[in-house]
Amino acid sequence: MFSEKAQKHADACRFCYMCRHLCPVELVTGKESNTPRAKALLVSMMERGMPMDKGCATAMYECLLCGACTADCATGFDPLIFIREARTQAALEGLTPDFAQNVIDRIEASGNPYGARACAVPLEDCPESGETLLWLGSAARHAVPDVAAALISLMRKAGESFAVLREEPPSGSALGDMIGYVEDVRQQALSAAAAIAKSGAKRLVVLDSHDCAFFLHECREWGIDLPETITATRFVADLIAARRLVPRQEAEIVSYHDDARLARDLQEVMPAREILAAMGAEVHEMFLNERFSQHPEASRACGSAARARECGSTLMGQMLPGLARQLAAARYADLLRTDARILVSADPQAAEALRLCVPEGVQCRDLFVMLNDRV
Amino acid sequence: MERKALAFMPGMILDELADAVGGYDHISIEPSERATYGVDYFWIGRMWQDRGQVPPMPDWIVRPGSAAEVSKVLKIANYYRIPVHIWGGGSGSQGGALPMSGGILMDMKRMSRLVAIDTESRTITAEAGMIFQQLEWYANEKGFSCQHIPSCLTCGTIGGALGHRGIGITSTKYGKIDDLCLNMEVVLPNGDIIHTLPVPKHAAGPDLNQIFIGSEGTLGVITQATFKLFEQPESRQFRAFCFPDMHSGYMAGRDILQKVKPSILRFYDEAESSSIIQKILGVARPGCFMNLAVEGIARIVDIEMEIVLECVRRWGGEDLGSDYGEKWFANRITFFYPGHIMDIPQMFGTMDTVSTYANIEKIYWAMKKVIGEKFPFARYISHSSHWYEWGCMNYTRFIVEPKDVPQDPEAARRLHNEIWNAGVRVAMENGGVINDHHGIGLKLSRLMKEQYGPAMQVMEALKRQLDPNGIMNPYKLGL
Repeated sequence: MFSEKAQKHADACRFCYMCRHLCPVELVTGKESNTPRAKALLVSMMERGMPMDKGCATAMYECLLCGACTADCATGFDPLIFIREARTQAALEGLTPDFAQNVIDRIEASGNPYGARACAVPLEDCPESGETLLWLGSAARHAVPDVAAALISLMRKAGESFAVLREEPPSGSALGDMIGYVEDVRQQALSAAAAIAKSGAKRLVVLDSHDCAFFLHECREWGIDLPETITATRFVADLIAARRLVPRQEAEIVSYHDDARLARDLQEVMPAREILAAMGAEVHEMFLNERFSQHPEASRACGSAARARECGSTLMGQMLPGLARQLAAARYADLLRTDARILVSADPQAAEALRLCVPEGVQCRDLFVMLNDRV
Repeated sequence: MERKALAFMPGMILDELADAVGGYDHISIEPSERATYGVDYFWIGRMWQDRGQVPPMPDWIVRPGSAAEVSKVLKIANYYRIPVHIWGGGSGSQGGALPMSGGILMDMKRMSRLVAIDTESRTITAEAGMIFQQLEWYANEKGFSCQHIPSCLTCGTIGGALGHRGIGITSTKYGKIDDLCLNMEVVLPNGDIIHTLPVPKHAAGPDLNQIFIGSEGTLGVITQATFKLFEQPESRQFRAFCFPDMHSGYMAGRDILQKVKPSILRFYDEAESSSIIQKILGVARPGCFMNLAVEGIARIVDIEMEIVLECVRRWGGEDLGSDYGEKWFANRITFFYPGHIMDIPQMFGTMDTVSTYANIEKIYWAMKKVIGEKFPFARYISHSSHWYEWGCMNYTRFIVEPKDVPQDPEAARRLHNEIWNAGVRVAMENGGVINDHHGIGLKLSRLMKEQYGPAMQVMEALKRQLDPNGIMNPYKLGL
């Protein structure tokens, strides 16, 4: 039923409680089934004859796949392996909960979790081929188009020649999160790679951190050939360092939300902070990020990145909007314990999640939008 | 088709419970969700799961969001005479949270709000479902510490720590959870919400805190608690030593405690020094390893460390410097992750006990002898990690390798309980107690009357008065 690897990880995690204090979902729901250990226990029970049921499948979808548990494990066990496989199993047994199946159906029908047909970002003036391809991802194309528009504007202001695909195929990242890394997902990744190759790109600048992590990790593991791939935050930080973008400085106190895939999967915490510093912003870190600003390298090594609380995601917003709002509210609670009242994010999915419930007196800003206003 | 009238009741009770806790989002009867509450850290529960047995499951899971909602649930449970089990992190090793009677399982983790930080009085108050690490982080955010740093810091809740009388690694200086907790809100089994006195100490009769701390959910539900806050130590100095034998280590520890309060003092027998400690810290020398930390104001710490060194020299301890202690501190949680901690298919248990210095070494040897003679296939290791002026505890573990663990679940359970009976009884016969800091739960419930004798009637009277219908966490704590 489950792979040997998934069984090994589930059997290690089923009696271990060491990461439950970091699970953003469990922290807001208080449900035992939302803990990594409970999910491991269920997988382990299924391996020992307990049939999967809808409740079990639901538990597997009440997870952001943010990797806080994985990143914090001192002995290298990874609950995401068996959670993804449990989602695959739910699909195979026809037990996928309706709220998740609806999203899967939309991804399969339209290529994105929203079921949207037309891209909300004006791309008429952008060439579709070139050496640098800007990959926007579905959240920026459909839910937070201002973020994509700001990045495109910044590229132009920097005099960077770039291309954007008008019909951007799904990367495979969202479907991989919904049903695990199965053949259908690999086929999506191959189609995305083909579209990227067709554009003639030698460099891929990726705005969506989920897509970027998927390209750099899963596609590489599958041997799918992609050009040099870089996050949009790193790319823009380099443009500023090269003085091709010179932002106007405005002294403001802000806090920065570390997106889980940027901070953990891609080990990237500094470019966004460099961009904020270039704008004159004073970053007051939320508590568990505090050590980033002091010893960024050391803090990564000792696990601070593991503790950065995720605020939600496109998929969670589409599947369980009530839970998505709770997750965003919890992140704002972290902010409100600092003296900053501006929360900046640098990922379209994070922007989408945080815009669900902005508290009174707080501003939620996207880093690229903020920078574009100052260049 | 005829349906018995009573068959309608579970649904009716479900609706009533949902109404009590603010709706169906906070209640569940899903089989898979119920199953996740059937296994905690208790070896027998884990063994049942590993052997594919159906775990003990509750009938209804409720997740209250306030003391008022807890009160409503308890009133419903009392009306229908339904057992109620309280679940925090579920990380207890004694089976204290297992829903052995079915009925209602109350998962407290939805009650995880920070209530107040009083920096003037140096106290912090939070709801009991908060994971203790979160409470510590809230304290750290303001520059303080609660100084309750157990190995289950990241997995246990405030209520769990109080419920079983937990302890942390810095207890020797700062105290056990019953020293650190100042006051509590408790919902009594009849639904009344009470508050213990919100002062550091008093002479207004017996301390109500100490009735409910350690009561393991048998006398009520702890819903909120206030703890001491401590300033973060300006300096923390580590030092490791190697003693020629157990006696010299115990005596050095006693002499240190008479003069200085180390925050950490851990003394390992030769078997543990040459196994776990050698594996993780790389200490490779015969003898008994001791690791301690002194902390506080830097000037005082320097003087305290000088006194510690004098005591150690007097008992023939070899000074190993500060590196091992620092390495232990950096790895203190690593010991408990999969791959390092004992796990199924091994059989194991921690028979921690506490006694006076006159008895503690005697207990160490007596337990070692009885385990060695009756169960020669079991490995016996021990360390002492919580110390007082008058005595200390032994964290004694037995480990049976998989080849000697019966495959039949009945036989495995029987062997497990026989080892526990033998070890704990010999500890009690030699002046120790049934448990130091893991609690009683289901695991040791049967031995409570042997521990207390006629004194047990005090606890039984409390139970009868507070919980006349016997609904609260049945089969636990010998009540």
